[in-house]
Amino acid sequence: MHVYIYDDYLNKSKYSKAVNRMEIRLTDLGLNGKIIRLGGIKNIKGTIQNEIKLGAKTIVAVGNNQTVNKIIGAIIDTDVYGDFQRKTLLGIIPIGNDNSIAASFGIKNEEEACNILLARRIEKIDLGLVGDRYFLNEATIEGLGTTIDLGDYSLEIEDKGTVRIVNLLSDKANLIGSNPHDGLLDLIINTRKKDQTLLKLNKFVISNASEQLLIDGVIEVKTPAEISVDRDKVSVIVGRDRLFQ
Amino acid sequence: MFNRENKLEKFKDAETVIGASIKVKGNFHGQGNIIIEGSLEGSLKTDASIFIGEKAKVVASVEARDLIVNGEIKGNVSVKNYLSLGSTAKINGDIQYGELSIEKGAIINGQLLSTGPAGKKINEKEEGRENKLKEEE
Repeated sequence: MHVYIYDDYLNKSKYSKAVNRMEIRLTDLGLNGKIIRLGGIKNIKGTIQNEIKLGAKTIVAVGNNQTVNKIIGAIIDTDVYGDFQRKTLLGIIPIGNDNSIAASFGIKNEEEACNILLARRIEKIDLGLVGDRYFLNEATIEGLGTTIDLGDYSLEIEDKGTVRIVNLLSDKANLIGSNPHDGLLDLIINTRKKDQTLLKLNKFVISNASEQLLIDGVIEVKTPAEISVDRDKVSVIVGRDRLFQ
Repeated sequence: MFNRENKLEKFKDAETVIGASIKVKGNFHGQGNIIIEGSLEGSLKTDASIFIGEKAKVVASVEARDLIVNGEIKGNVSVKNYLSLGSTAKINGDIQYGELSIEKGAIINGQLLSTGPAGKKINEKEEGRENKLKEEE
């Protein structure tokens, strides 16, 4: 059974056309399922976990990056994770802005997302970890004053710029081919002087006394924070044009 | 003769790049190709190749299969195969190498020791031949 988790912002009238288009397409493709609207639900985690216990074959996040993160947060490292890993796939139908995770999976809009759900092209994806918070795409922080400690050695950044910790590439502009299957995170540091630093790492501590780490463009976390990666943690339905191999 | 341009081509696939604004402290040991444009203190080691950029400052012992130096190294250098010193290279330390190429202008303050990979290969071949003969006997 497909379970569609609608984020609460989809109640707004400006999204009604997109939601209608998606529902018509799902009906045409025979992909109808149970709809859960997060707007009226207090215990989001409990609701999602219950659907997995009831045997959902696909949990589909209908919304944006935050919707995906809510679902990931409700599943990973909980009692239902074993069931989820064995039986359930994660699908995404992007509606509105802030959909870099869907873009990484090669899902451009809601109608294409429905076709992708039907095709069921499945990839096991690593998840990045900041402390106990999981992320799919990336975490970012201001470069100047940031220190990265790997035990054997440390990196100090001596110029303004951006530090990106990438699990899943959300744009093609990068020099490196980020791979969410390799058990490594890509550390990319771009500074004002236009020099670039690239490293592939699996565990480190990042700290900056005056800046916070931003996870998937949504959640801010204070540092020092331990960053790591969990390999092949989620099975996701992806598009042919995904930004990784 | 050692072709530096060809060697530089290989670095397009470098997995690790340390930019000019980055300071590395500690034992930096990798497996793939490494490019250093910033500064490093401690030790630097890889089974593959290292490229040290013109403005890079490395205060460390350096070990690699191949090494191209255009910047400054303070520390001993050990290179299994090819070592190339560009015109802006400056090394304060002893150098052990397989093959060596030095451009005019490069500065070395230390001892040079050739391990000669070609000679090594000949020895290995000789040893192999001896082993085969023993087996035949």
